[in-house]
Amino acid sequence: MKTLIIGEVSNSTLSSGTLEILGKAKELGTEFELITIGPDDAPSIGIDSITQKYVKRNAENLQFNNIATIISEYIKDNEVKLVLSSSTYVCRDIISFISVDLLSSPVSNVIDFSISNGSVETINSINGGESIYKSKVNSEHALLLIRPKAFEPIEAEFNDNYDTLEVEDSNIPIFDIFKEEKEGPQLEDSKIVISAGRGMVDKDNLTMINELANKLNAAVGGTRAIVDAGWMPYSQQVGQTGKTVKPDIYIACGISGATQHQVGMKDSKYIIAINKDEEAPIFQIADLGIVGDTLSVIPKLNENI
Amino acid sequence: MKIAVCAKQIPDPANTMEYSEGTLNRPDEQVLDDTDRYGIEIALQLKEKFDAEVTIISMGPEGTQKGLQQALQMGADKAYFVDDPSLKGANSLMTANVLSQLALKSEADIVIFGTESTDGYSGTVPQQVSRFLNLDCISYVKGIEINDEVKLTRQTIEGSENVNLPEKCVISVTAGGVEPRYPNFKDIMAAKSKPVEKIDLATLQLTAEQNLEFVTIENVESSKAGEKVVDEGEAFNQIIEKLKELKAI
Repeated sequence: MKTLIIGEVSNSTLSSGTLEILGKAKELGTEFELITIGPDDAPSIGIDSITQKYVKRNAENLQFNNIATIISEYIKDNEVKLVLSSSTYVCRDIISFISVDLLSSPVSNVIDFSISNGSVETINSINGGESIYKSKVNSEHALLLIRPKAFEPIEAEFNDNYDTLEVEDSNIPIFDIFKEEKEGPQLEDSKIVISAGRGMVDKDNLTMINELANKLNAAVGGTRAIVDAGWMPYSQQVGQTGKTVKPDIYIACGISGATQHQVGMKDSKYIIAINKDEEAPIFQIADLGIVGDTLSVIPKLNENI
Repeated sequence: MKIAVCAKQIPDPANTMEYSEGTLNRPDEQVLDDTDRYGIEIALQLKEKFDAEVTIISMGPEGTQKGLQQALQMGADKAYFVDDPSLKGANSLMTANVLSQLALKSEADIVIFGTESTDGYSGTVPQQVSRFLNLDCISYVKGIEINDEVKLTRQTIEGSENVNLPEKCVISVTAGGVEPRYPNFKDIMAAKSKPVEKIDLATLQLTAEQNLEFVTIENVESSKAGEKVVDEGEAFNQIIEKLKELKAI
């Protein structure tokens, strides 16, 4: 099935989500091409034996509409049937625009898919991972938005073997571009993640989480509630609208474990949860659950580690 | 200025979601999706500055109209909704198609959404509506500053960036960017007399069709639910033992 992967540039190379989808495409052995979007002038994204086009966007202009038009034309001209992309801010916009051009509703939050007899069947995770939802795409084109960490990434050596396409500006300039500083271990690739929820009660109490994270060389995450409350930047949010993590150890501190949070962390290898509420849903997926006050347990950990 | 804000009535998120034939069961009484309160708040702030008219647009089973009333109580002026059995299990594109038609009917310059609903979370409808309407789309707005110009702050993967609000566009708003207002008793009473109009699906021009077929829902092997310990002051030791065993310390 002729497939197009929409990739993204991150840190001047292919994003981890892109590499994961490439991994799945290779495994399926389907014929595919790659169109990658990014703001860099000449990122290192080429891969031997993969045909790739690079859409260089202007970081100072909101161009996603125009990028989608280029990709829609490409899909029609090249008789692409399956379009895959990672469920990121940029690709959610692009796939949504394309779905209107092709009159084919996309499937969001896909965790796996298969191709049989010329049709695509997708798998979604619902009810916080307790059930899986299977559906079949019946339209000429299948558009899939894939959750991060769904597949094993390919390992690749990068070169500059790709064609670059320019995009027209829209009428909407972008200004005051702000990049959050990243310090210490990052959520996506840490072996240990410690996350905080409402049960931490006050922003000041996050110091004890940070102290524990330092001791364990862990990354710090948070629930949507505390990110919304301004205790942490959005880049540290774990869950449906935030990051998906799969560390060896996940320590949930004062997190009740709403479905939306579980989606982002339930595949962690070992889950430790500390929560006052014995009935908190987080205990249903925890390997070790401590029913108790996070604010008293964590300082004791800090003293004794 | 005319503004349309999408408000979705959803089953109370405090209850477990149940499905039949792959479609979420919707009780008669549904509530306003909390996610939509942020979009409504932004619409109301624009209304206060520019004297705009704010229309709630909604699709889904009408039920007791509780969710629509909650949206009107916040301060919107009127509501248009579509409730048609043929839309049961509608995909995101069909939903966006219907909502874009309601936005047209309200003659909106600015159309505002939450980024994704709490019950379906496909997260594609605002962008799809903008494409149907051929308008610019400013997605993932997490902040607004209203002066003579209106500055919107967008969430990006690396941080944030700003754009000025154009005369016409679609906006999606993340939760937390603004503080949604609570209606007082007067607002609640006033909402009861605001116009709520059911729009006949047949009067809308629709092109999207169902392309996603439900196959099955399967229960995953009930995951782990491991050991649970009630802390009587010493439970931290068990965490430390485990961390040692896992070679984290």
